[in-house]
Amino acid sequence: MPSSGSLRDTRKSGTTTPRWITARKIIQYGSLFIFLYLFIFSAHRVVPPDLVNLPMRLDPLLAVTHIISSRVFLPGAAISLAVITLTLIFGRAWCGWVCPLGTILDIFSFKSGRENPVLDATNDQNWRKIKYSLLIAIIISALFANLSLLIFDPLTILYRTLTTSLWPALDQAVIILETGLLNIPVLEEPIAIFDSWIRPILLPIEPSFTPAALLYFLLFASIIILNILASRFWCRYLCPLGGFLGLISKASLFRRQVSQDCKTCALCERVCPTGTIDPERNYTSDPSECTLCLECLDACPRSSIAFIPAMRLADWREYDPNRRQALATLGLTVAGLAVLSVDPRTKNPGPNFIRPPGTRQEDFLSQCIRCAECVRSCPTHALHPALLEGGLIALWSPILIPRLGYCDYSCNQCGQVCPSQAISPLSLDEKRKQIIGKAYIDQDRCIAWADHKDCIVCEEMCPLPQKAITLKPGLWSDPGGESFVVQLPQVDRQSCIGCGICENKCPLVGEAAIRIFRTS
Amino acid sequence: MPKLSRREFLKTISMTTGTIVFNQVISACAAKPQNTNSVQKITEPAGPLEPGKPLTTEQPDQTKFPDLVVTRQGTPEDLTRRAVEALGGMKRFVPQGAKVIVKPNICVAYHTYEYAATTNPWVVGALVKMCYEAGASKVQVMDYPFGGTPQEAYSRSGIAEQVALAGGEMVTMSRLKFISTDINAGQDLREARIYKDALNTDVLINVPIAKHHSLARLTLGMKNLMGLIRDRSAIHQNLGQRLADLTSALRPDLTVIDAVRMLMANGPTGGDLGDVKDMKTVIASADIVAADSYAATLFGLQPDDLGYIRAATTMGLGVSDLKNLRIEEIVIDA
Repeated sequence: MPSSGSLRDTRKSGTTTPRWITARKIIQYGSLFIFLYLFIFSAHRVVPPDLVNLPMRLDPLLAVTHIISSRVFLPGAAISLAVITLTLIFGRAWCGWVCPLGTILDIFSFKSGRENPVLDATNDQNWRKIKYSLLIAIIISALFANLSLLIFDPLTILYRTLTTSLWPALDQAVIILETGLLNIPVLEEPIAIFDSWIRPILLPIEPSFTPAALLYFLLFASIIILNILASRFWCRYLCPLGGFLGLISKASLFRRQVSQDCKTCALCERVCPTGTIDPERNYTSDPSECTLCLECLDACPRSSIAFIPAMRLADWREYDPNRRQALATLGLTVAGLAVLSVDPRTKNPGPNFIRPPGTRQEDFLSQCIRCAECVRSCPTHALHPALLEGGLIALWSPILIPRLGYCDYSCNQCGQVCPSQAISPLSLDEKRKQIIGKAYIDQDRCIAWADHKDCIVCEEMCPLPQKAITLKPGLWSDPGGESFVVQLPQVDRQSCIGCGICENKCPLVGEAAIRIFRTS
Repeated sequence: MPKLSRREFLKTISMTTGTIVFNQVISACAAKPQNTNSVQKITEPAGPLEPGKPLTTEQPDQTKFPDLVVTRQGTPEDLTRRAVEALGGMKRFVPQGAKVIVKPNICVAYHTYEYAATTNPWVVGALVKMCYEAGASKVQVMDYPFGGTPQEAYSRSGIAEQVALAGGEMVTMSRLKFISTDINAGQDLREARIYKDALNTDVLINVPIAKHHSLARLTLGMKNLMGLIRDRSAIHQNLGQRLADLTSALRPDLTVIDAVRMLMANGPTGGDLGDVKDMKTVIASADIVAADSYAATLFGLQPDDLGYIRAATTMGLGVSDLKNLRIEEIVIDA
């Protein structure tokens, strides 16, 4: 926490944590708890989908860029106006009081009080520009119907990291411990009981596997490690949502004001987690950077600080976006989009680039906000963030990997939880008719076709009422001349919906002998 | 957030590592090289086995009861009750205070019970009630669906509701409990990862639904036991013999085949009501081979048409010759 022990000792004796800070911490941890709760239960269809995706719909950056990019207004996203209103009244209170990533960064606060050589005043000013550049780039690419840069939104970062690496890793850690301890006979029963407590609610029954899980983990870890350089490094310098709310905060009502009896003791400057209290400006701060954490209020020995209404726009600082920065970012963004579009995979991704059911390949990237809600809610772990399969431009948009999980015939959850309706909210009956891809049999590897042995697993698994995989008898003769019949699977491509359960359950080692390929 | 001192941190780390290393040492010292399960039921010598041995300590006179009961034309609950009663009542199978596992077929989460891909919920519910009436201390119901999640399958099949009403417990099967087990009587399948609780339970009641299957031709009692093992796709080669081998390891005490609604084609998943035949029939027997053999005739097949019945008969797991069975047929309402 920003208020370190040594500071507290120099303060007026006998004080406890003031109730405003207590209130903030309760809300912060409460918000983090709700976020995690919704994360955990989004995989279980316990919480209604409209509640599951509430955090994403609250995020005004996601809402605004989605409208710009898709030219569609979703009524559900109107709730983000609440956050904009909050910001117009209290400034970046979202960052200090609500944002779950902000709370995690507070928990991992490495502030030591030592002077940081890297972070001098010049760097501090320059780095604050980064978040605005990112924000401008996001909005410009949204104008060109692309939302790829929303991978930098703090809520999508947290949700994606939890989904793809932190939670599966926790699961693996539990599995390793459980299987290890299971060898001790007396622990067998307690472990079985423990396991039935945590599964399937907290952790899945079958573990999920994510390609490149380490990548997501390292990105998240680096955000936390950057906290060593400066507290809330991410929020100060990088966060595009913070930049967006910061710009709105220029017009916010409640501002931090420093009165005349300030004795310039600099205590407030030292506790400020975003480093916006400026000694050269009489210890005032920038509302665009202040997260209203109220630590300074607590630290001030003379009660010279007050948060009171002010009816004017805040000063434009040198690190705030200017025309030059906006134009440079515009140029770079357009150039970047153009170069990325040269990649052939953006026009014609590989045959394994299979989208979730109920998506249209052509306008998907203008609607998908990269939040990974669908990935998390998929009960069979079939959906995963794409890496480079569809080019860098489609990074971390969802694809279905049948060998890792199949599209469950009894599930339509991804479309229900998608906050931007990039995946259409289909009814179960509608989803069952969606064509995700088509199955093709590799007759050179299939157990029945190539090795002349009965298998039929793919036919057995096919969920269609009139199976899309049928069997035809094939006649072979063994070396002794004795003839025998083998049931050979074949796909009726007309009715196949490409759910991928056949590929998923194919008993071959490694790549399946029946595989789903993209058809549109 | 209290600060973790370096000392504390190192202490925690070393404790954790120590525990893990300790486990490895302990397991290395263990008598058996592998984490194998040895169970009373399956350490019997290979060869002919006594069909359907009842569990009760005071052996009731076997000759009093028929080998197999078929009930027709009634509600699923009545069909089930009358069948088990005619077989000597649930007390014959469930001793006072026994723990019971009921294994229905809940293979997919796709459809409601009308589609006959999953066991009729009232048949399962009736069995759970009867187990408690007989004095069971705990009745658990479980299956491991291959399509969809267990939760979804349990609820969509309607089984979760009927089991709850009967006071039973729907259990989500845990990966940890599939234990590598030797099958001593096995001819082809000599080892499999079998669900530990099903091996160790006092009473195992097998409640399959009778339906079509392209490889096994029909999925009945023995095929239903596949839900209790982990690596199912591997069993598909030489399926008949391997199912019989698996049956020798699990040997359910009672098999009740739900033929209330039978799935005649496109099994085991189903989904088309046109493939469903309303039979209003339940078959009960302590002999799983006998029950499967009789059920085969409902589909117009002979017991010998099914590979697993042939294999199980050869192994002496039960009687498939219907002429040699005392069969009682009950028509509930005219």
